[in-house]
Amino acid sequence: MSLVCANLVNPGGDAAALERSILCHAQYSLGRAWEELSARDRFAAVALAVRDRLLDVHFETERRYRQRDPKRLYYVSIEFLIGRSLASNLYSLGIRESCRQALSNLGVDLDLIEQGEPDAALGNGGLGRLAACFLDSLATLGMPGFGYGINYEYGLFRQEIDAGYQREKPDNWLARNSPWQIQRPDEACVVPVYGHVEHGVDRRGAYNPMWMDWKVLIGTPFDMLIPGYGGKTVNFLRLYSARSSNDFDMGIFNDGDYVKAVEQKIASETISKVLYPSESAASGQELRLVQEYFLVACTVRDIVRRFEQTHSSYCDFPFKVAIQMNDTHPALMVAELMRTLVDEKDLDWDQAWDITRETLAYTNHTLLPEALEKWPVPLMEHVLPRHLQIIYEINHRFLAEVRARQAAEQGADEGQIRRMSLIEESTPKQVRMANLAIVGSHSINGVSSIHTRLLTTLLVPDFYRLWPKRFNNKTNGVTQRRWLLAANPALAALICSAIGDGWIVDLPQIQAIERCASNTGFQQRFAQVKLANKERLAQIIRDVSHVRCDPASLFDIHAKRIHIYKRQLLKVLHIVHEYLSLIEDGRLPAQPRTFVFAGKAAPGYWLAKQIIKLIHNVGRVINSDTRARDWMKVAFVPDYRVSLAEKLIPAADLSEQISTAGTEASGTGNIKFALNGALTMGTLDGANIEIRQQVGAENIFTFGHTADEVRSLLRSRSYRPRDYYERDYRVKRVADAFRSNLFSPAEPDLFAWIYRLLLDENDDYLHLADLPAYLDAQEKAARVFQDTPAWTRMAILNVARTGHFSSDRTVCEYARDIWRIGPVL
Amino acid sequence: MEIHVDDMAGVAVAIVPVAELDASNSVEFKRDIAPVLQAQSRVVLDLSQLRFVDSSGLGAMLSCLRQLSGKGGDLKLCSMSRQVRALFELVRMHRIFDIYGTKEEAVQAFQRQFV
Repeated sequence: MSLVCANLVNPGGDAAALERSILCHAQYSLGRAWEELSARDRFAAVALAVRDRLLDVHFETERRYRQRDPKRLYYVSIEFLIGRSLASNLYSLGIRESCRQALSNLGVDLDLIEQGEPDAALGNGGLGRLAACFLDSLATLGMPGFGYGINYEYGLFRQEIDAGYQREKPDNWLARNSPWQIQRPDEACVVPVYGHVEHGVDRRGAYNPMWMDWKVLIGTPFDMLIPGYGGKTVNFLRLYSARSSNDFDMGIFNDGDYVKAVEQKIASETISKVLYPSESAASGQELRLVQEYFLVACTVRDIVRRFEQTHSSYCDFPFKVAIQMNDTHPALMVAELMRTLVDEKDLDWDQAWDITRETLAYTNHTLLPEALEKWPVPLMEHVLPRHLQIIYEINHRFLAEVRARQAAEQGADEGQIRRMSLIEESTPKQVRMANLAIVGSHSINGVSSIHTRLLTTLLVPDFYRLWPKRFNNKTNGVTQRRWLLAANPALAALICSAIGDGWIVDLPQIQAIERCASNTGFQQRFAQVKLANKERLAQIIRDVSHVRCDPASLFDIHAKRIHIYKRQLLKVLHIVHEYLSLIEDGRLPAQPRTFVFAGKAAPGYWLAKQIIKLIHNVGRVINSDTRARDWMKVAFVPDYRVSLAEKLIPAADLSEQISTAGTEASGTGNIKFALNGALTMGTLDGANIEIRQQVGAENIFTFGHTADEVRSLLRSRSYRPRDYYERDYRVKRVADAFRSNLFSPAEPDLFAWIYRLLLDENDDYLHLADLPAYLDAQEKAARVFQDTPAWTRMAILNVARTGHFSSDRTVCEYARDIWRIGPVL
Repeated sequence: MEIHVDDMAGVAVAIVPVAELDASNSVEFKRDIAPVLQAQSRVVLDLSQLRFVDSSGLGAMLSCLRQLSGKGGDLKLCSMSRQVRALFELVRMHRIFDIYGTKEEAVQAFQRQFV
């Protein structure tokens, strides 16, 4: 029997079977003997062997779903920040040790193979990573939930640093195809775009708008299998690539216009070519709008196709299909589903509208009004003429409903009508995607308690007053399988040795380690794990950032997208304060620290890129100053991504979550750090507030103005940064440092903008207002850190009390309150 | 393109002889079907060989329908593949044309229509 046959008959999870599979794929899928494979191809051979096992469970899962015909959840997101898959797939299938043995027999270390996997960086940050965590939880809970996204050829750019400046390099993660992906060309779909609507009548004389002169995109699905922990359920993430069909181009080719044929092919494929960096995705960019529509159109086609395989009446649609829109990027779903039901399925408008609203739900992710998506009406008309018509009709009917309500209750209020309209009456007019998503959904949720409160009271209060029951909160969570079990195996093993492994699928069980929090032996083992993680990170910092740091120092980490509201600048102000206190006052810090930054700035976001330069310049001055050598180090670790986060987070002592209160919807980094035993230094923002409730105010460092205080200061225009500057010498000295060229001796005035920003009464992020309290909180943290048993106890309690923040809990809440789906086991 | 036409009980049944009707050949199709439309007022387009049609192809068929309607005739379509039917539905063209499963059904429909 050949290797292939042996493999097909019995994949098996033992080491011998895995070894056979790996060799089989080396030889027959990759065409080389194992010994001749490159490191990348060895990873591919292992991944393909694992994929065989995933497929077996996937077939079994699909069979179960077909038998039971459950309601299915489709999670639609423009981003899925998957990261690496090999380790998590091995954990989920329970074959990691077998695989390690198999590879050992072949003379290779599994860890090296895992490290060789490129990140699937199909997202910018929290929103995309949340989507990936949800897929893990859905599969682990045995729920029929599937992701739908775009198969970007280029993920988020690779960040390199040149003389302190960020340089963006393309991340062509699909250059050699991903072994995890399965192409499904037979399920490709045709997507029309552009053209115009011709108003006519059908054969019965009824009004019939026809979409004419459209261009064609072809959406080809690629499936990535998503196993649940325990290996009982394998769902999928379906990612669409825009392809032009060679067949379709051949006509032009045969006419002799080869260049035109190639140009059309390239234009079509551009749609899924690149993920937009977050700040660059502002409305007005035609390609981005086409991308969003492409995702929505392909997804609806596929959902409808699946539904029609087993159902004939669209009355059943909301009982069999739930669609969650992850932010407004898929908000065109409202118009596309209506178009499908009315134009293609011949449903009348009211019935189609009821079905659409019962099916769709929307998650809001931002409180920054400027981040709410809008599309110019002329652009929408150019790209999606029929959809714009439908949006106008939705708006017309919706505003009539609001006017009727006003007439019956408080009387006419045109201001409210203007705010709630799907169309902003600006020049040019704009389609408000958040309003569209809200009007078309039966559920609208925020992602933390404070975010939902601010969403309903500040961002869209008119909608909340109209439909209070549609609004709800679903506080974010993270999957403990990736962020503790896989990212921090030593801590996971320590926890398992103390309380068993039930927490892996039921995170609240982790609370049982509270009883070990004061146990000296446990504390010592816990501290040893942390130290080992810090040593590993110190090595990485030495290798990539060329900074030598002491693993015994306090690792103070600020890792997230670079953005003014996340206040990396505030962290820098703290560092500068510590440094100036040391060199000017001779005041030694309470505790040696290593300040670690990581994060990407959107390529077009000047201020964020300047902050990266600032961090490097401050680091260069401090790291080269012999007076500070034993007390402070500053490191920027480039190219922040999931696999780097998996190294940074387990090594943190202090987790910086210092956004201006009222700006961060939830954050999930804060949760991941706490789960790994870092203490949070945070403002009362996003999920920090709930973390404080869970871990106890005595086990977290909070500081700064509350969201209500921030709002009050900004609304009353009473923020006077100069008062803080004059009142507190620490604030004055730090701000003045940026006028003195201390950190840019070779480039005078490089950072003068910082002084101006800090003292500008229009600094909406209130850096100086929060600085004194921040410095005080940092002093307190440093003092506590010196008491190792006390600090370690607090760290253990943080781990023990983060059970609430599993994405399993979040997904169960969505499933119960919004999707109405359950496990199918 | 060579369009084969059968007469079935006084109805002209023309087979669209390509797998794709798109920007590359829709002008040619319109040119080659024109004599049929001039000679006949009751025409069935047999789309059994068609696998893909783009907006130019649909536009060409719409032009045929309008020509025949203009002189009191009619155009019916038959034998559409699932993919082509989906495209018609996508842009609401299925409401403009009379569409039948087979050419026999289409011809019978003409006969009922003109009795």
